[in-house]
Amino acid sequence: MSEAAALNWVLFLPLAGALALPLWPRERDDLTRAATLAVMLVQLALAWWLYARFDADVAGLQFETRVPWIASWGVSYQIALDGNNLLLVLLTAFLGPLVVAGAFSAITQDVKLFYAMVLLIQFAMVGTFVAQDLFLFYVFWEAMLIPMFLLIGIWGGPRRIYATLKFVLYTAFGSVLMLAALIYLVYTLQSTSGISSFAFADLMRTRLSLPVQSVLLIAFGLSFAIKVPMVPLHTWLPDAHVEAPTAGSVILAGVLLKMGTYGFMKVGFPLFPDATQAFTPMLMALAVLSIVYGACLALVQDDIKKIIAYSSISHLGYVMLGLLSLELAGIQGAMVQMVSHGLIAAGLFLVVGMIYERCHTRELAAYGGLARLLPVFAVFVLLLTLASVGLPTTSGFTGEFLVLLGAFKSAWPVYQSGNGLPLVWAVAAVSGVVLGALYMLRFAMATLYGPARAPHQPLADLNWREKTILLALVAAVFWLGLFPAEPMRKTELAAKAYQQTVSTSRLPETKR
Amino acid sequence: MNLHDALQAMMPEHLLLLGIVGVLVCEIAGRSARLAFGVALACTVVSTLSALGMALDHQPITAPFAGHYSIDAATALSKAVVLALALPVLLIARDECRGAEFPALLLSSLYGIALMLSADSFLTLFLGLELMSLPVYALVLQALRRAASAEAALKYLVLGGTASAMLLMGASLIYGSSGSLASAGYAAALASNDAMVRVGAVLVMLAFFLKSAIVPFHAWAPDAYEGAGVPVTAYMAVLVKAGVVLALVRLLGRANLGSPLLELVAWLPLASIVWGNLAAMRQPTLRRLIAYSSIAHAGYLFYALLAEASTRLQAVVFYVLAYGLLNLLAFAALPPMADERERDRLDNLRGLFHRAPFAALMIGLAMLSLAGIPPLPGFIAKFLIFRNVMAAGHTAYAVAGLVASYLGIYFYLRVIQLMFMSPDARVDAVPASRAATLASFACLAGTLALAVFPGWLIARL
Repeated sequence: MSEAAALNWVLFLPLAGALALPLWPRERDDLTRAATLAVMLVQLALAWWLYARFDADVAGLQFETRVPWIASWGVSYQIALDGNNLLLVLLTAFLGPLVVAGAFSAITQDVKLFYAMVLLIQFAMVGTFVAQDLFLFYVFWEAMLIPMFLLIGIWGGPRRIYATLKFVLYTAFGSVLMLAALIYLVYTLQSTSGISSFAFADLMRTRLSLPVQSVLLIAFGLSFAIKVPMVPLHTWLPDAHVEAPTAGSVILAGVLLKMGTYGFMKVGFPLFPDATQAFTPMLMALAVLSIVYGACLALVQDDIKKIIAYSSISHLGYVMLGLLSLELAGIQGAMVQMVSHGLIAAGLFLVVGMIYERCHTRELAAYGGLARLLPVFAVFVLLLTLASVGLPTTSGFTGEFLVLLGAFKSAWPVYQSGNGLPLVWAVAAVSGVVLGALYMLRFAMATLYGPARAPHQPLADLNWREKTILLALVAAVFWLGLFPAEPMRKTELAAKAYQQTVSTSRLPETKR
Repeated sequence: MNLHDALQAMMPEHLLLLGIVGVLVCEIAGRSARLAFGVALACTVVSTLSALGMALDHQPITAPFAGHYSIDAATALSKAVVLALALPVLLIARDECRGAEFPALLLSSLYGIALMLSADSFLTLFLGLELMSLPVYALVLQALRRAASAEAALKYLVLGGTASAMLLMGASLIYGSSGSLASAGYAAALASNDAMVRVGAVLVMLAFFLKSAIVPFHAWAPDAYEGAGVPVTAYMAVLVKAGVVLALVRLLGRANLGSPLLELVAWLPLASIVWGNLAAMRQPTLRRLIAYSSIAHAGYLFYALLAEASTRLQAVVFYVLAYGLLNLLAFAALPPMADERERDRLDNLRGLFHRAPFAALMIGLAMLSLAGIPPLPGFIAKFLIFRNVMAAGHTAYAVAGLVASYLGIYFYLRVIQLMFMSPDARVDAVPASRAATLASFACLAGTLALAVFPGWLIARL
C-alpha cells in the first residue's frame, strides 16, 4: 500500500465505521464497542506507520492526494501530511482507541449512536488536520461541531443542554465570520491573479493591503481564538467540559482545542503575515492573559473537572506565545506543547472520569487520602499531575521550556533596543508555571493525601482496562519528554517554513 | 410555429397533461385512488426524464411559440429539478390524501410551474402563475379538518389574488410604454428613466415578493402552511417557491439590477432572513417552523439575484434542489400520528430518536443541512449564493446575510435537541407508510449525491 493511500485510509476508516454501525445488530453493545475499538486501533497503526515513513529532510507536503472536487470553483480534495500536522494526526489517532476504551463502562445508553458520533468526530478532526485546501478545511472544521453537540447534549451532566448550546453557538459564530473571510479571500485571489483555487499553497501567494489583511485576520482569528480558547472568549469551555461525558472531555481537551492553535499556525498567521506582525503585541498580551488568568481561575475551583478545564486555557496560552515569538525554539516548543497538552489533559480527564464513575461526584472536598484507598490510581494521578506541572523528563517540561526560551529570545533584542514590553510578557508567562504548580499540587494534595475520605466505600482500584489506558498515556508523556529529538526533527522544516512565511511581508507591490 | 417543435420541446408539459387526463379517467372509471397516484407518479417520472434528456442533450434554444415560450439546456435542467422534487410529494401524499383530486390538482399546478420556467412573455408568465396557484388554493382547502384550514385558504387566496393583480398592473404599465409583452421589456424597464415604467418594474418585483413570502409580505405563509395537510405544505414550501423564484430569474434575464431595485432586493430579503430566523425560534409546530424557515430561505434565494446575471440560474437551481430535497426529507420522515393536528407539534417530537431512530436521524439531517452546516448540501448552496454576491461587489450585503444566517442555527438545533436529548413524549405512534419511507430514502440518496458530487451539477448549470 502506498503512503498516500494509507493516509486516505487513516482519514476514511472512522467514517466507514460510523456508517456501518447502524447496520450492526441492535442488542449487541459489546460487539459495537469491540468493532469501534478495532477501527481505531487500525487507524492508529496506519498513522504510526506513516509517522515512521515521514521523511524529515523533505520540506513541504508528503503523501499527497489531490483530486478535483468542485472543479469549476477550483476546489479540490487535497490531503497530505507535513511537519505542521504530522504530530497532531498521530495524537488524534493515539487518543482515539483510548477514548473508545475509556467509555466502555461509562456509556450504557444509546451505545451505537455514541460510538458513531465518536467515529464521526474522529473523521472530522483528522480531516481538519490533513486538509490542504481551505474549502475542505472549512468543511471538516464545521463537521466537528455536530458530533460534539450530540456527545455533550445526550450523554452529558445535568446542565448539558445549556452547555452544549453554548458551545455550538459560540463556535458557529466564529465559523460564520471565517466563512465570509474565506469567500472574500478566494475571490480576491481570483480577481487579482486569475487563479481560481482554494489550495493553501496558492492562497499563500495572495498579496493584500494591510487593512484588508487585518480585517481578514480578525475574522479568521476570532473563529480560531474561540476554539483555543483565548481569554476573553473562553467562557464556553468550563461549561462544556464540566457537563460533557469523559469521552467528550477527552476529545475536547485532547484534540479539539488544538484546532484553534493549529488554525492560527496553518491558516491565520501565514496567510496574513503583515497583519500578524501588527497585531503581535495585542495577541501576545492576550496569550499571557490566558496563561495567568486561566491559572488563577484554576486555583480557586472546587470542581475537579473545572480545575483541569481552566488549566487547559492556561496551557494553550503557551502555544500561542510560542507561535507568536517567531523564534525556532518557540515554534517547535508550541508544536510539542500542543501534543503534550493533548496527552496530559486527556489523561487527567480520564482519571477524573474514573473516580467519578466510582463516586459520582467531582467535588474536590469530597475526596482525601485516595493514595491509601486506591494506590494504583494515585500513582497515575501523581504522574499526570507532575507532567502537567512541567517536571523535567515529561513532555510538559519540553514544551513549556522551549516556548519560554523562544519568548525570551525574541524579547531580549527588543528590550535592548528600548522596548521592554515583550520582556514583561515573557516574565509574566513564567509566573504561569509557578501558578500551574500551585493549582495542580493543590488538586493532588487534596485528593491523594490527608485523612482517607471518599463518598463511596469500599472503592475498587483500577481494573486492567483502565490501567492499560493510563499506562499508554503515561508512556507517551515520558516518550515525548525523554526523546523529543525525533519528533522535533520531523517538524523542524515546517517550523522554519512557518517562521519564514510569517516574517516575510506580503503587501501588494506598489505600482509605478 | 412548427408542430414538430411544439410536440418535442414541450414534451415535459405534454406528459404532465397526459397524467392529468389519466388521473381523471381513473376517477371517472371508478378505479381506486391508488391507481390514480400510480399514473400521476409514472407521468411525472417520465416527464422529469424527458426534461433531463433535453438538458443533457445540450439542445440549442428551441421556441415552438416564438416570443412566448422557449426552452434551452439550462431551462430544461431547472425544469427537471423542479419536476423531480414533485416525486417525493406525490409519494408522501399517497397514504394521506386519499382520493384522486390530489394528483390531478398537483399535476395541474406543476404544469403551471413548467410553463413559467419557459415563459418569454408576460402573457405566458401570468398564465403559468395562475395555473400554478389556483390548484394550490383548492389543495389547501382539501385538508379541511378544522376551521383554521378555511381561514388559511382564504388568506392565501386573497393575497395570491393581490399578487396577481400587482403583476398585471406592473406588466400593463410596462406594456403601456413599450407596446410589447415580451419579457425582455422588463430588463429594458429596469434601465428606463420613465417613472411610470419604473413603478411597473417595482410592482412586478413586489408581486414576486408576495408570492414567495418575503418580509413584509410574509404574514400569510405560516397560517397557510399550518392549515394545509403535510404534503400540501411540502408542495407550497418547496415547489411553489422554487417556481416563483426561477420564473423571476428568467424574467430578469441578463439584466443587472440598478438602484432603487437593487436596494429593494437586498434589504427586504435581508429582513426576511433576520425575521424568519428569529420568529422560527418560538414556533410550537414543525409546519410553522418550516414556514418561518422558508421565509428566511426565500431571503437567501432572492440574494442570488444580486449577483452577476450569468450566475443567477446556477445558484438558484442548486439552492432549490438542496433546499427542496431537505424539506421534503423532513416532511417524509415525520412520523404519522392518529391525530393529524397533533402530528407535528414539536413537543411530540421529544425523544423521537428512541421511538423511531430512522425518522429522527433523517429529520436531524434535514435540519442540519437547512442550517447550512457543512458538508451537507445546504452549505454548498448557501456558499454558492454568497460567493456570487461577493463576486458582484456587494461585500457588505454578503457579510450581513451570512451573519443573519447565524441566527437560524439555534432553532434548527432545538429540533435536534428535542428529538435526541429529551425524554420520550409517550405518544401513540402509527407506523410510517411504505410510500413515505420510499420518499425519504429517495431524498436521502439525492442529498448524499449532492453532498459528495456537487461539482457535477454546478458544472452543468
